[in-house]
Amino acid sequence: MKLHLHTIKAILLQEFYMTKRSLEIIVDVFYFSVVTVVVYGLTTSYFTRQSNQIYPHYLYVGLLLWEIIRINQYTLSVGALWNIWSHNLTNMFVGPLSIAEYLFSYMFSGLFKSIIVFVGISLMAKYLFQFDIFSLGWINLTTFYINLTIFSWTTGILILGLIFKYGTRIQSIAWGLVFIFQPLTASFFPVDALPPLLQKVAYFMPPTYVFEAARAGLTNPLVDWHSFWISLGLNVVYFALSIWYFNAMFNSSKMNGQFVKNES
Amino acid sequence: MNSILQVSNLSKRFGTFTAVDNISFSLKKGEVLGLLGPNGAGKSTTIQMLLGITTQSSGAISYFGKDFDKYKRESLQRINFASSFNSLQGKISVLENLLVFALLYDVKNPMAKIKELLTYFEMEDLKDKEYWDLSSGQRTRINIVKSLINDPEIILMDEPTASLDPDIADKLISLIERLRENKNLSIIYTSHDMDEVSRLCDRVVFLDQGKIVAEDTPLGLTKRIKNARLQLTFDGKKSDLEKLLKTDKLKYQFINDYVVHIVAKEKEIPTIIFKASEAGVWITDIEVSKPTLEDFFLQIARIKK
Repeated sequence: MKLHLHTIKAILLQEFYMTKRSLEIIVDVFYFSVVTVVVYGLTTSYFTRQSNQIYPHYLYVGLLLWEIIRINQYTLSVGALWNIWSHNLTNMFVGPLSIAEYLFSYMFSGLFKSIIVFVGISLMAKYLFQFDIFSLGWINLTTFYINLTIFSWTTGILILGLIFKYGTRIQSIAWGLVFIFQPLTASFFPVDALPPLLQKVAYFMPPTYVFEAARAGLTNPLVDWHSFWISLGLNVVYFALSIWYFNAMFNSSKMNGQFVKNES
Repeated sequence: MNSILQVSNLSKRFGTFTAVDNISFSLKKGEVLGLLGPNGAGKSTTIQMLLGITTQSSGAISYFGKDFDKYKRESLQRINFASSFNSLQGKISVLENLLVFALLYDVKNPMAKIKELLTYFEMEDLKDKEYWDLSSGQRTRINIVKSLINDPEIILMDEPTASLDPDIADKLISLIERLRENKNLSIIYTSHDMDEVSRLCDRVVFLDQGKIVAEDTPLGLTKRIKNARLQLTFDGKKSDLEKLLKTDKLKYQFINDYVVHIVAKEKEIPTIIFKASEAGVWITDIEVSKPTLEDFFLQIARIKK
């Protein structure tokens, strides 16, 4: 599989123009993140003052890290929808563009946007609410980032596959489906707060290990390599499955005519 | 001339419905080939398979002598597509859209290419407008600009003038004619407008219910319809002329007491006029409408009913 730089640059250029000109993308990606950090920053500050405990910080660290998942997945899934809504997807795919290049471009774009947003909201949290996520250490943050990003790509690719297969009638899952993983990955609370059955499910989710390690890191910022490797292993399996699933859905949409119908 | 596109036994089935049924045709360098047919004939599905966005159930497509399935990227690099049913990205400007496609097709010196095309189509003043702010005629012309960004050897055009005002459609057809002359393009063209097809196409493949029912030049197809329409304006007794028409067993309809429409074979027309004069009917005006591609289209549609 050979990736051609010019096609990747084309998609990224379109992404840049769209992000620059679309109020919807600016609101969805940047505004929501900023509002979330401010609202929950105030909430966390209040509860910390009242209880003087670390638990409110569990919520806040989870929220900051969740934005990595949300922005990556959103970019991957909604990027295709913008082209479908504009009736431009066909124009893109009748050119010399492979599906691998298409996915890679949006994964890269999502990563780039999420880094900008994550650094921005982390600095806001640090200077406005005295919550320093960087105190977890660069190695911890990097390992968290790797696993959360791969997971978000996996969900984004799965959702994109569903959109290609079933069309825009299920487009709302591009925004909504990922939130099902908030409770299942114990994003804002320890895993043991979940019912026993869901605890078992949670340990099949790569982000669970990240959120657990992040919470632990708030008191003891040692790198939990064991959790990292389990999370990465699960991620690799799920990512491979999502690519397989996406290919099946994409080919099926071209076989049953849904790919073209998506724009009609 | 060698074929630069060869379609062999192409079929597409959606469940039990056969949209395209074992069709074969070719396209030569510099040729404009019309794909015609009633709604649901399989024209658009054929175009989609030729572009690789719908997968065929069976059959083969080859561009430039190479199998399309195996050499998809190489083929797509050398062809392009324009349709009134597709748009560019609405939220970004014309120039930005064209830059994206110039990169996608790896165009060398993209700004110069875009400037050249916008100048050619007299659309330079629109380059900074958002695509959604353009009129439908302007959008269609920009779609054509996009389809030329990579200097394609073949363009597939799916009803590019649909939903355009007649004068805008006429301008667009003139542009396509100029393009064809200047760039020696090969074009596959679908349309419901028979005049456009007669004007543009060297050859027409007529589809009906997924099958090729005729393949010929536009003139060749119209020649398959033997009857012409004759309008006679006359001075004399209507009954005399009617008697003559009945005797010759012709189809006719009197519009009023001095105008009649007659359906007759072209070669019979001089005889009808001569006999009318002999019968004392003075012909003051003659109008002959030769069969058109539309008549052929209607004939197919009626057979279907």
